[in-house]
Amino acid sequence: MIASSASTTSINKRPLDPRTTLGLGLAILFFIVSGAIAYSNIRVLREDAAKIVHSHEVIVALGEVLSTVQDAETGQRGYLLTGDERYLEPYNNAVATVGKQIDALTALTRDNRDQQDRIVPLRRHVDAKLAELKSTLAVRESQGLQPALKIVTSDRGKAEMDAIRAELIDMRQEESSLRRQRVAEMADANRSAWISGLLSGALGIVLTLIVGFLIRRASIAAERRQWLQSGQLGLGSAMLGDPSTNVLGDNLLAFLVKFAGAQAGAVFAGDGALYRLVAAYGVAADAPIVEQFAFKEGLLGQVAAHREPTVLADIPDGYLTIGSGLGRDKPRHLVLFPAIVDDVTQGVVELGFLHPVDDMVLEFLKEASASIGTALRSARYRAELQDLLEETQRQAEELQVQSEELRVSNEELEEQGRALKESQVRLEQQQVELEQTNSQLEEQALQLENQRDDLAKSSAAIALKARELEQASRYKSDFLANMSHELRTPLNSLLILSKLLADNPTGNLSQEQVRYATTIQSSGNDLLALINDILDLSKIEAGHLEVRPETVTLKRLANDLEQLFRPVASERGLAFDITIAPDCPPSLETDRQRLEQILKNLLSNAMKFTETGGVGLAVSMAGPDRIALSVTDTGIGITEEQQQSIFEAFRQADGTISRKYGGTGLGLSISRELARLLGATIALESQPGQGSRFTLTLPLVYDPAQVSPRAEPAIPTPPPSPLARRDAAAPARRPKRRLADDRDALTGAQRILLVVEDDDSFAGIVRDLSHEMGFQCLLAGTAEEALEIARRYRPNAVVLDVGLPDQSGLAVLDRLKRDDDTRHIPIHVVSANYQTQTALSLGAIGYLVKPVKREELAGALDALTAKMAPASRRVLIVEDDPVQRAAVGKLLASGDVETVGVSTAAECLERLRTETFDCMVLDLSLPDASGFTLLETLSQEGHHAFPPVIVYTGHDLSVADEQRLRRYSDSIIVKGARSPERLLDEVSLFLHQVVKELPPEQQSMIQKARNRDAILEGRRILVVEDDVRNVYSLTSILEPRGATVEIARNGQEALDALERSTQDGATAIDLVLMDVMMPVMDGLTATRAIRQNSHWRKLPIIALTAKAMPDDQERCIEAGANDYMAKPLDVDKLLSLVRVWMPR
Amino acid sequence: MDEIEDLEIRLLLEALYQRYHYDFRHYARASVKRRLRQARQQLGYPSFSAMQDALFRDPIMLSRLLDFLTVQVSEMFRDPSYFRAIREKVTPHLRTYPSLKVWIAGCSTGEELYSFVILFREEGLEERTIFYATDINPTALDAAARGIYPIQRLKAFTENHQRSGGKSSLSDYYSTAYGGAVFDKSLRDRVVFSDHSLVTDAVFAEMQLISCRNVLIYFDRPLQDRAVGLFRDSLARKGFLGLGSKESLRFSTHGQAFADFDRDEKIYQKQEP
Repeated sequence: MIASSASTTSINKRPLDPRTTLGLGLAILFFIVSGAIAYSNIRVLREDAAKIVHSHEVIVALGEVLSTVQDAETGQRGYLLTGDERYLEPYNNAVATVGKQIDALTALTRDNRDQQDRIVPLRRHVDAKLAELKSTLAVRESQGLQPALKIVTSDRGKAEMDAIRAELIDMRQEESSLRRQRVAEMADANRSAWISGLLSGALGIVLTLIVGFLIRRASIAAERRQWLQSGQLGLGSAMLGDPSTNVLGDNLLAFLVKFAGAQAGAVFAGDGALYRLVAAYGVAADAPIVEQFAFKEGLLGQVAAHREPTVLADIPDGYLTIGSGLGRDKPRHLVLFPAIVDDVTQGVVELGFLHPVDDMVLEFLKEASASIGTALRSARYRAELQDLLEETQRQAEELQVQSEELRVSNEELEEQGRALKESQVRLEQQQVELEQTNSQLEEQALQLENQRDDLAKSSAAIALKARELEQASRYKSDFLANMSHELRTPLNSLLILSKLLADNPTGNLSQEQVRYATTIQSSGNDLLALINDILDLSKIEAGHLEVRPETVTLKRLANDLEQLFRPVASERGLAFDITIAPDCPPSLETDRQRLEQILKNLLSNAMKFTETGGVGLAVSMAGPDRIALSVTDTGIGITEEQQQSIFEAFRQADGTISRKYGGTGLGLSISRELARLLGATIALESQPGQGSRFTLTLPLVYDPAQVSPRAEPAIPTPPPSPLARRDAAAPARRPKRRLADDRDALTGAQRILLVVEDDDSFAGIVRDLSHEMGFQCLLAGTAEEALEIARRYRPNAVVLDVGLPDQSGLAVLDRLKRDDDTRHIPIHVVSANYQTQTALSLGAIGYLVKPVKREELAGALDALTAKMAPASRRVLIVEDDPVQRAAVGKLLASGDVETVGVSTAAECLERLRTETFDCMVLDLSLPDASGFTLLETLSQEGHHAFPPVIVYTGHDLSVADEQRLRRYSDSIIVKGARSPERLLDEVSLFLHQVVKELPPEQQSMIQKARNRDAILEGRRILVVEDDVRNVYSLTSILEPRGATVEIARNGQEALDALERSTQDGATAIDLVLMDVMMPVMDGLTATRAIRQNSHWRKLPIIALTAKAMPDDQERCIEAGANDYMAKPLDVDKLLSLVRVWMPR
Repeated sequence: MDEIEDLEIRLLLEALYQRYHYDFRHYARASVKRRLRQARQQLGYPSFSAMQDALFRDPIMLSRLLDFLTVQVSEMFRDPSYFRAIREKVTPHLRTYPSLKVWIAGCSTGEELYSFVILFREEGLEERTIFYATDINPTALDAAARGIYPIQRLKAFTENHQRSGGKSSLSDYYSTAYGGAVFDKSLRDRVVFSDHSLVTDAVFAEMQLISCRNVLIYFDRPLQDRAVGLFRDSLARKGFLGLGSKESLRFSTHGQAFADFDRDEKIYQKQEP
């Protein structure tokens, strides 16, 4: 009756609702009670009725008794009167029945004692009456009528009769009152029966209503339970199987949403600390949805913590958003409920409704909580189990791979063992063969030795000759220099005395004798002039002439010359004028004495060789920083062949000239040499018979660097600018090296000497000598070639000529000493000029002046050898603490390393100025200057050799400090337990670092680095890169091309640098090179951040990455980079990329 | 049948490379084969060709396959003696550098990385060090960057840490909650996580120490040589390279560029050429 669904066993077993049971019990009780009441009412009624009937019967019986007695009396009386027996019949009948009737009456009134009591007298009276009657009858019969009447008239019978009557009336009255009473009782009973009937009817209706209500309620509850049960069932089947957490979540949501009538939902699963979204249903794809939340975090976390479902009616923003193809909406009601098992919240389910949430749904969800929790937990356990299984499998995999690896290694070992055995056998064979060839070779070597000895002998002879020649030439110079001095001394007295004689102060000489004396004096003067000229020339040749620059006013110079030559000109009848172009500066900076000497020489020559016409001096500008002084004449002129030789000493245009015009013929040679010393040139234009023009072109400001070496005679063409001259002259003078060297036959075993010399003959001498001394020799004719060879072949030593066609050798020296890779190479300088101090200050180990004697050259090569021999490896230790210094010295000193300790920066500078070191160990804290300052000084000043520096410090360095040090030092060592070991490593690395091949791209990089790039000139490039090596290689690519490089070590620093640069227009960044992989903030993030700022939206960014995947490129571009480049960097490609993206 | 399977595997690896640029073509073939078989069984594909088909169309397949192909097995301070050697023998050398770079190549889910960071912190070197943690599997890298490990593994981690000569308690570095141990965020301050392939990618910085353990075993010989070459080019003068216990540079073509530093623990030091 209650559970209509008989299919569920649980319902049958389920006890009835207690209220329903109570209702039903009450109803049953009520019916029993009301039945009993009705029954008793009926019985009372019936009893009452029976009693009434009984009373009635008694009354009737009483009547009968009376009538019977009266019948008997009537019969008696009839008989008495008549004596007729017939009349006796009623009497007989009455006698027969009256007893019975009284008995019956007795029976009827048995329950009534009063009546019973009355029956006894009644019976007596009846009996007495009957006895009287009988007696009368008997008398009548026997005695007749009278006696009988007498008896009758005795009134005994009447009295009896009255007594009977009285008795009967009493009884009747009694019975009647009884009957009345009973009727009244019956009426009462009747009424109460009515009332109880009505009451029970009403009660019945009420009860029925109650029971009906209860039953309805029970059936509703049953339905509900059925719904819940079907829900549980559905839930169970939704969670059936071993799904993963996500699949479980999906199934769960699909079922819950459908079953609970929700529109959207989400399931979060977790282990009590962190909950992650595992499934969502009906949620708009782009709606923000919490991906995960922590315990107690937010509403969801609170639900997880409090373990109570929460219903929300007013949904805040950011909660579930329902989405469909047609649009989206916010749910109006939200249910959040936890899934709890064993007091741990395993997950939280969120359901969104458009309608209010039914209690039943909540109840269902509450009931489902545990089973969902269990399912989520078991899904998690399953996942963990799966993970563990996979972990085990992976471990097994690794073990297997490891064992395979071992097996392979083993096999390879065996293989190697076999190979070793084989090669041993082979080696033994080879050894036998080698022994054989060895003996053959020995023979050949002997032959070769003989040949070599012969060769050496002849070459020694040749060298001797050359040396003798050189010596002879030198003797000549020395002789001349000495002789001129020696000659002047006697000449001096000769001149003075002849002058005295010519003056004839005593007047004792004849006219003739005075003329002789005058002739002696003028010849002496001529001789003196010749000697002076020779002296000048030899001084110049020997390099003894010093240049003393001073300010020379052009006007004064012109005046002096005018004063000097005007009289000569007028004497010879020649025109003479001096013109100064208006654009000339008022003065120039040069050696006044030498300049005047040149001009005087040229002018006196011009005067000398001009018979008619005029001589002029014109001053004009020749280029921006040079001035031209031209001496023009209208004299005999010089033929083209003569033009070649007139500048050479002791050669004149014509042997006869000297005789005709006088003079030593040394004037032009001296002029040319002087001009060279002033950094000037003399050019000649001339036509025989037409006149000549000598043009002296000299710099406005004397510059010793511009002084060209003494070499060739001036070329008789108008002087081009020095720059153009250099370019034009180089190829013309030495288009190609003709001498062979050893570059194709380098053995690697022998030391390599680089000879930088443009003079083939001298280069050849040095080469041959170096071969004798066991070097292999490389020759370079130009500075560029020298630098290239030095970088490529890393020679052990260099002999460097200062006078090179393209650049000064000193520039080569400087560049070699500035390059980390070449600065250790000892360099010996050879020059025609005295530039000893400059060369030594630039780091040369020695200096030879041309002409060089063979012994000197050999000595120089010996010095070079000594410099690179291990014995001479020197380490400078700059350390203020004497104990430490001694300790480091002891650590580093060995057979081939000499250590020198200094304690101050000043001392260090002094040492570096005067000596050379292969390596320097520097402590950063010094008493007089910090190590930083010392390094900066060293790098800026060219006067000190700057050996490789190892910074050895006891302090931890900040990143900025380290960055600063890295500019000067490759190697920074922080003192510690293992630092001595590393110091030893690094020092020996520098000392033995002779052959370190440069990668080819770096070589070409260096070559290209010489050209500045118009697009890059003056641009600022931000290099964002954390690797020091890359930073410096990028800097060395970009800076030589004129770009300024700023460095940032990570994305954040890049943003900071950009921020700074925007504030100041002058330092605006033009382009960014962005490494992708960096600490703090990676390149992609930084690029995105840059692009977010509107100022930098167009800033070109080139990403640099070590990754090779094409997607990486996409990622760079996506992040906002303009272009992309993979490492290792290709210099050409990088430059072209930078050029492409550099804004114009 | 085996032949067809081999072909299918080759094609699958080729597909993986062509489509997603993950290059497993030079991984040790036997191992790749075993792992792909496992993947096929567990993912429920009838054949490798079917997997290849799915790989083209379903991007999820990539990460699933990656998880199978890259063997992520590690624990903190795994082989404590290795870490003890790093601590006792290598760090005194590293201490002489003003700044350090350390590369954990193939960092997997980060256990080795955290071991190194903790060791460096204990040795007072962390402040001057940048750690590069690289792997090809982005899922593993994410896990490494999260630094959360199941609490039941912590017992073994702690034991290893103590045996490696740990100077502090491992529990100083993590906090636990509901079955997980989360490693302190500050341990990641000096770490750069990046996906980087030893197969295809290039040098990215100059390192003083590279630890690449149990990665080379999965490579075939030419690939091992490439990776070791990459390490050689990445290392500073006298830099250190640590390998797994079963790995060796003995047969590598670049072997002569390294000297044994600790032969038992497979720690090598770069030699000057």
